[in-house]
Amino acid sequence: MANAETIPVASNGAARKRKRFSYSVLFILPAFILYTLFVIYPTLNSVNLSFTSWDGVSDHIRYIGFDNFVEMFQSERVYNALKNTLILSITLVVLENILALILAILVDQVRWCKSLFRSIFYFPVLLSGIVMGFVWTIIFNFNFGVISQVLDKVGLSDWKIDWLGDPDYALLAIIITTVWKGSGYYMIIYLAGLQGIPPELNEAASIDGASRWQKFRHITFPLLASAMTVSVMLSMIGALKIFDQIAVMTDGGPGFATETLTYIVYKVGFGELRQGYGTALSLMLFVLILMVSLIQVKFLRKREVQM
Amino acid sequence: MAMNKKAIALSITSIMAFSLVLSACGSTNSGSTENANSAAPASSEPWKKEVAFTIGYATGDPATKQAMADAVSAFTKANPNIKINDLSGGGTAAYLDWLKTKEAVGEFPDLIEMRDTQLFAEAGKIAELPQAWLDLVADAPTLNDKHYTAPIIGAYPQGIIYSKKAYENAGVTAEPKTYDEFLAIQEQLKTSGITPLTFGGKDIFHWGFWVNKFFMDNMLADDPNWNSKRTKGEVSFSDAAPMQAMTDFTELFTKGYVEKGWASTADNQTASMLVTGKVAQLFSGPWMFAQISQADPNFDFGWYPVPDRKGRVIVSGANNLQGWAISTAANGDADKQAAITEFVKFFFSKEQYTKFLQAVNGIPTTKEAIQYEASPQMQRVLEVMGDSNTVKSMMINSFWGEDQMPTQWRNWFYKLAQEWLTKGDFSAEYMKKADAEWDANVKANAAAK
Repeated sequence: MANAETIPVASNGAARKRKRFSYSVLFILPAFILYTLFVIYPTLNSVNLSFTSWDGVSDHIRYIGFDNFVEMFQSERVYNALKNTLILSITLVVLENILALILAILVDQVRWCKSLFRSIFYFPVLLSGIVMGFVWTIIFNFNFGVISQVLDKVGLSDWKIDWLGDPDYALLAIIITTVWKGSGYYMIIYLAGLQGIPPELNEAASIDGASRWQKFRHITFPLLASAMTVSVMLSMIGALKIFDQIAVMTDGGPGFATETLTYIVYKVGFGELRQGYGTALSLMLFVLILMVSLIQVKFLRKREVQM
Repeated sequence: MAMNKKAIALSITSIMAFSLVLSACGSTNSGSTENANSAAPASSEPWKKEVAFTIGYATGDPATKQAMADAVSAFTKANPNIKINDLSGGGTAAYLDWLKTKEAVGEFPDLIEMRDTQLFAEAGKIAELPQAWLDLVADAPTLNDKHYTAPIIGAYPQGIIYSKKAYENAGVTAEPKTYDEFLAIQEQLKTSGITPLTFGGKDIFHWGFWVNKFFMDNMLADDPNWNSKRTKGEVSFSDAAPMQAMTDFTELFTKGYVEKGWASTADNQTASMLVTGKVAQLFSGPWMFAQISQADPNFDFGWYPVPDRKGRVIVSGANNLQGWAISTAANGDADKQAAITEFVKFFFSKEQYTKFLQAVNGIPTTKEAIQYEASPQMQRVLEVMGDSNTVKSMMINSFWGEDQMPTQWRNWFYKLAQEWLTKGDFSAEYMKKADAEWDANVKANAAAK
């Protein structure tokens, strides 16, 4: 009897499991199909194309082995783009996060018009990268730009800089623009982190006589670690993929001075009719982003504090 | 050369005559059509069946962009059943980059202003022109004995557009007869306190004007097969002639003749630079005349071609492969092909084409004679183009067949020029890089076939 009773129970459980599994599959399937079609398949196809000399126009595709990769590692232009990408990534991650953290702390502490300040600092994030690029191009313009015109008006014409036309300043102009646009986004992440810190901790520290700096150093900063992990990782990925500003403001120039890996992928693939080579470059970019992200997550997770 | 506003009374100039002169002076590797049929007129009846097609054209020059948009608008108004989706755009990007991107994302226009004809024809993306198109134009060029393009306008010459007031202030009284005289004028202008030249260096296509002027003067006019020799390795960019070409180009900058902000000046800002008196001259083509007059209707300006050191006038004016083309996909769809043909007939119809040419100061290409009011500057252009002493050559990227430049090389080279100009270190090393890139591009293009 005992056996007769347990068998139906076991089969009911198995049936339920099977049913649950079927439902899970049904729920996952549409997303999986879409993801496969639009992400996995193109990615695998990219690997395939990176071994070809396809120009992106003709129907004929010819395999050339590892030639694209050999050329990539021998190219001065690629090394220059890699150097620019790393300079931009490191500078942007540092500047965007410091500014975002400062803004978040200020907005968190302000007693009036909190929403207004939050909106003002977040506003640039809402602008399209292309539109923002055009606006800053006008601001930076040597002959007609706002900065130049102000300098002309106050008799400091000799101080005028061709921000986007001078290789010594063009990358800096892109950094300024990107920090202006991006910091508001990371500010929101830090603000959410700040608002998640229990006020009792700061109150207790105040009672114990801790200074503002001590409270920030020993309470706020450690408890913001998870927000920082997300923010740093997103800003790093954003910096590695930077494209809009460069396309609109400098076209990778003057010369090749502001070309980044993302931009060179586009220029080579579309402008220079070397889709195969461009795809090989994009694979390198993919590996670079993956490596940096993994290292970042591993490093930053260590200092996260569980509340 | 003193300004006489009353003398600017516009006169009717028969431009067709010059257009035919141009056709006769076409490049040796271009063919000509000999259609006995007269041009088919655009239908006066509105189109009945509902058809939609896409169109793409270069938008770098505001006057041309507007004139194209006006033509599309006028056509769709007359033919409400034909919908034209105007894909044109691209901002500051090179037209080829834009077109290539459109092709890659499956939005290759049905009707295209084609510039890199050989590339797209060999890739099978554009079709041979319907006969009805060939009936409209006087001299459709051929590639491998096939017609792929109907020239929208005759090839444009570039030259110096100058402020008459600035010339007067500097004491310049005559057009230069040689390149050295031209340089002397630059010194005179500089000494008078005005920056001689503006340069739309932000837009990559603008580089082609000066770079090609020097390439034509030093190499291409005398040796139209220079490109194929470069491909075969028989000549080099580090040879004396190309080195001289780029040395002359570089010196315009190093001698302080070009405004300081050239690298961030866009092509469409050059007119403002000129009319606001920031500079005295601009090196560009007749399409700028309308833009300049629009920026300041009272601005008095002239135009002349820049001679070479021997005193020859060499201009970009030989026929090339550029023009309206139809995509292979659209050509395979009978309704689309018919609707597009209807548009092309409308575009080249006397009334519409006259408006277009007037807006862009263009040289007609139709069999039907077109006359429009030409400004004094445009008359000077036509005078130069009609002069039998004028040598008509082509930009380095306009050759085709064996003389075709690797398509991707041009914009890369302009960027290289930006690099040496901003670094101020032009040398033969850069020209050796130009050789290496050319060879690599030829190899890559051969591998892609």
